[in-house]
Amino acid sequence: MPIGLLQAQLPPSNLPYLFAAFAVSWLVFFGYAFFVSRRQQEMQREIRALRQALEQQDTTSGA
Amino acid sequence: MGLLRPVLVLVWKDILLELRSREIVISVLVFGLLVVVVFNFALNVTPRQVAALAPGILWVAFAFAGILAMNRAFVAEKEQGGLEGLLLAPVSRDAIFLGKALTSFLFMLIVEAALLPVFAVLLSFSAFSFILILTIVLATLGFATVGTLFSAIAVQTRAREIMLPVLFFPIILPVLIGAVEVSSQAIGGGSGVGVGRWLPLLGVFDALFLVICPWVFSAVVEE
Amino acid sequence: MVRTQRANGIPSATPGALARVRAASGRQGLGSYLVAVGGALMLADLYLIFMVAPTDSVLGHVQRVFYFHVPIAIMSFLAFFVVFLASLVYLIRRGTRWDSVAHSAAEVGVIFVTLALLTGTLWARPVWNTWWAWEPRLTTTLILWLIYVAYLMVRAYAPNRARAAVYSAVVGIIGFVDVPIVYYSVQWWRGIHPAPVVGPLAAPDALDRTMLAILLFSLATFAVLFLYLLLQRMSLRDTEDQVIELRFSLRLRP
Repeated sequence: MPIGLLQAQLPPSNLPYLFAAFAVSWLVFFGYAFFVSRRQQEMQREIRALRQALEQQDTTSGA
Repeated sequence: MGLLRPVLVLVWKDILLELRSREIVISVLVFGLLVVVVFNFALNVTPRQVAALAPGILWVAFAFAGILAMNRAFVAEKEQGGLEGLLLAPVSRDAIFLGKALTSFLFMLIVEAALLPVFAVLLSFSAFSFILILTIVLATLGFATVGTLFSAIAVQTRAREIMLPVLFFPIILPVLIGAVEVSSQAIGGGSGVGVGRWLPLLGVFDALFLVICPWVFSAVVEE
Repeated sequence: MVRTQRANGIPSATPGALARVRAASGRQGLGSYLVAVGGALMLADLYLIFMVAPTDSVLGHVQRVFYFHVPIAIMSFLAFFVVFLASLVYLIRRGTRWDSVAHSAAEVGVIFVTLALLTGTLWARPVWNTWWAWEPRLTTTLILWLIYVAYLMVRAYAPNRARAAVYSAVVGIIGFVDVPIVYYSVQWWRGIHPAPVVGPLAAPDALDRTMLAILLFSLATFAVLFLYLLLQRMSLRDTEDQVIELRFSLRLRP
């Protein structure tokens, strides 16, 4: 039987949609996890800077 | 009764304010009318399609006009510090909420009562059926309950005008669906089959949120 | 001045802050554990989905999206349940911890529900030949998305953090109570159209046992993933709160 007829009897594979769905899922999850961890690092940096500023104020005000 | 009198006093106060300024009712009336006219042109409603489209147009007009009315519910209080005054008075938070909700309810009903005959003429349907009136009352009660609560929240946020629709519409969708379904039966004179399930849904929705909304309202207006 | 006492000044000195730091590092330990478990589960899940799951005779390979789409959708509703519970407890007992849970669950939840909608449309298109259908489950998911967005918008536009917590708690409670009502309304509304027998929303008994098993495994995988993201977000919120406290103390010093 010619390949064309054989293929016509199989369900369409629609693989691009399958790939897109899984790719989008991975992208979004990783993207969000990455975004959260980056914000966390920024915040930690800011905490260190703020703590330093606080300690300086402590020493200058002699409290 | 402990609750009834404060509520009535509050409602009367808002009615008096409105009688003097006539801000809310007129603008909401005009807006409702505009919505119907715009829809008529946007959808190019032919006489044959009217029966199918009229209920939807009607309720979109009522919903958007209602939002406009409820947006105003707390704006004046917020801008002129009326809310602090209310909170200091020996009135229960429930009474404040019910007063505001009842006021919005009455204003919306008045506007809807004025608009309904006009719509009936513009969209060529017969307006006067008991089921339709009942639906309008039940649905408007649902709008007023949920809308008053969200209006109290929205008025204290930075994006006041957009916050109320964003909060309001997803929640009242069941009311909208039910109202449109029953209205189309009432207008088109179809069988009462759908009505038997939608009207109870509206009733349950109203009852549920009339209990929940006052309860969370006190948290919303506290300092 | 009362506020400039040392005890209130440097957060690292107060017992409350020490407890928070301990909790944070405890959470980080848990976080690493979850990443490992979650990663392993995900690898196993992908293997099962692509190597073990039978190919659907009608839909072909694209049906495998089902193993991602359904668990993600289930988790998005579960996340909203978490938001509801945390909001309820917050309104009654008012602890920042509960607000942190609600807020984080809402943010992670909106991610899940967005993915549910995206994978849903990417599946609908090849299977139903349309990107969208106004049928009960999809529509309710869309409404859930809108409610999540309203929740996050209220938080963003509220005048201060305390108000943001209260307002969003109200939205979380009312939204959750409303979702079942929305579902039944849409179902009655769309009553004339029969639910699809195959496709994104096939009833569980239409599945064979292998598919059901893999589906449940996938659900467990996403539950772990959700938990991980939730804890990460809560951790971030703790850090943000510390920053705010520090900024606050700095400004009040003479």
